[in-house]
Amino acid sequence: MNVNPIVILGAVLYFAVIFYIGWYSRKASMDASDYYVAGRKVGAFVNGSALAATYFSPASFLGLPAFIFLLGYPFWWALTGIIAGLPIATLLTAAPLRKYAPTSFTDYYADRYDTKWMRLIAAIPTFIAGIAYVTLSIIGTALFMLAILKVDFAVSVIIATVVIYVYIYYGGMVATTFSTAFQGVAMTVASVTAAIYVIANYGGLNGLTEAVLANSPTFFNLPYVAEKASHPIMSMWSGVVGFFFVWHFGFSAMPYTVVRFFTSQDIKSARRSVFWAVIIGGAMYCGLVIIGTGARVLIESMHPLMQLENVTSAITLLAHMKTTYGVAGAAVTDYSMIAAVEALKSPFLLAVVAAGGLAISMATAAGWVMVLNILMGRDMMGKVMGSKLPEEKPVLITRIMTTVVLLISMGLSFSPPALVLDISGAAFIVILCSVGPPLVLGIWWTRATTTAAALNIIVMTFCSTYAWLFAHYKLGSAHWFFLSDAANKISAPHQFYWVFIGFIFFIVVSLITKPCSDDVIQKYSLDIRPQTELKKYKSL
Amino acid sequence: MFKGMPKIFWIGMGLIYGWCFLFMFLEMTIPGLPLKIFLGVPAAFIYNWMFALWFIPILVSYLFFSFEERREAQKEKEVK
Repeated sequence: MNVNPIVILGAVLYFAVIFYIGWYSRKASMDASDYYVAGRKVGAFVNGSALAATYFSPASFLGLPAFIFLLGYPFWWALTGIIAGLPIATLLTAAPLRKYAPTSFTDYYADRYDTKWMRLIAAIPTFIAGIAYVTLSIIGTALFMLAILKVDFAVSVIIATVVIYVYIYYGGMVATTFSTAFQGVAMTVASVTAAIYVIANYGGLNGLTEAVLANSPTFFNLPYVAEKASHPIMSMWSGVVGFFFVWHFGFSAMPYTVVRFFTSQDIKSARRSVFWAVIIGGAMYCGLVIIGTGARVLIESMHPLMQLENVTSAITLLAHMKTTYGVAGAAVTDYSMIAAVEALKSPFLLAVVAAGGLAISMATAAGWVMVLNILMGRDMMGKVMGSKLPEEKPVLITRIMTTVVLLISMGLSFSPPALVLDISGAAFIVILCSVGPPLVLGIWWTRATTTAAALNIIVMTFCSTYAWLFAHYKLGSAHWFFLSDAANKISAPHQFYWVFIGFIFFIVVSLITKPCSDDVIQKYSLDIRPQTELKKYKSL
Repeated sequence: MFKGMPKIFWIGMGLIYGWCFLFMFLEMTIPGLPLKIFLGVPAAFIYNWMFALWFIPILVSYLFFSFEERREAQKEKEVK
């Protein structure tokens, strides 16, 4: 397959717009407040679009269609779980955190639990998840670079890292908020356009369904009501329900989205941002469902490479891509979404999808790098170690941290350890079961204690990471319950149950340990709730 | 726990979880439910793709911000 000038033109146009926004907003990011939280001047639509672009990553754009391609219809519920989880954040965390108005993700933990060491403890899972996410964003950018330029995967990884580096280096949060808002629109347009092409290709939803069933008769099968499940992992209810919950609470507690609530103008704008994020993200997901559903039949019936002698199925086609372009590790299955679009043989469509793919990858990388460099610079160096440098030269320090984070992530991207959606799922579960309960219950439960917060973060980070790695390496997939008997495995996608165990563990430990001071509870729990007419803590 | 959380939050949660888990349950008890034709297309495109994935989350996020804005406006009126 050759490089197409229309596809390259689409990517060039996308980069021109992004770098214009970065250049135009460069004067706005000169002081610390502007650099960290965009001066808290961002309106509801812009913030909502930026929220969607940051929250949704290559794990969505490439990974979700790839998983529908692998697991069939029951995986649609995972996409539903993600979008249905967005509104929950409106009242659960977005409004209270905007009212509290911190600068960094760890500020809340230090203030609510009344010790600077909570910054360090909360930073552990955040750092693990952050590096995982920047890595998968580089992989996503690299796969789209490969689709555009048809160059070796290793070269694509280097180009992707340089592009993301330049983009963040010159912008900070101001550039990333406005350019990310543009990226939110770009990724949705790309997904919806591709879905329209797929539906039109089969003459409607009925035609698409018939083509899918002719190609994979078990695609729409569900557990208990069909002889053969669409996939062994989806052969029991815990597989379907588990995938629904893996990413479901992420919008309320993942650091890279929570910080976007800080940038909104006011509480009203923070709440409305979520509404816009649901509209933009939901439209994109509707498109991704269609692409993922049609991926296998599109590749196997229409992709140009299917004419090659050694290519007989979608899987062998992806294996061919792996050897031709040196795509390392599991990342080749993530290429299935791009391969499905290539099968439609429209350079215009591929240009639009490539621009959307670059948009979503770069937006997520930027969001996470900003979280990590503020975490390591301002929070760790400044607030924990007492250095004056992050306060005196915030932009310089965060740029140094950006360099460090991107170098580590680039090193990991050359040989991805798992599919981008698997990396994402692992990161979500680690964060949600460890720092999720102290954040949500810190706001909504006066009894939440410092000991419980510290213990929960340490214990849950260890347990969830261990269970995920054990299942991944010993049972062959992170989607089997890690204590399963090898002959009789139980579905437990990404060991999702740790999120619920995390909340129970946090409540139990809180009930048997010493509560925080009355002043702290009043200021960082009661006063930031929506209904401020609550009485003073002692009289409750 | 959750004192001060507006009632609309629980209504919205009930709507989201009620709809999703009802249809998940029905899919696992009625053979071939996703492919049964409803409004001219396979039913899964209506109850899952259109409603669970998009319309209901939009409705709930709208209710969340509009009810809160109305409550705040009412409160401001009372203060004045």
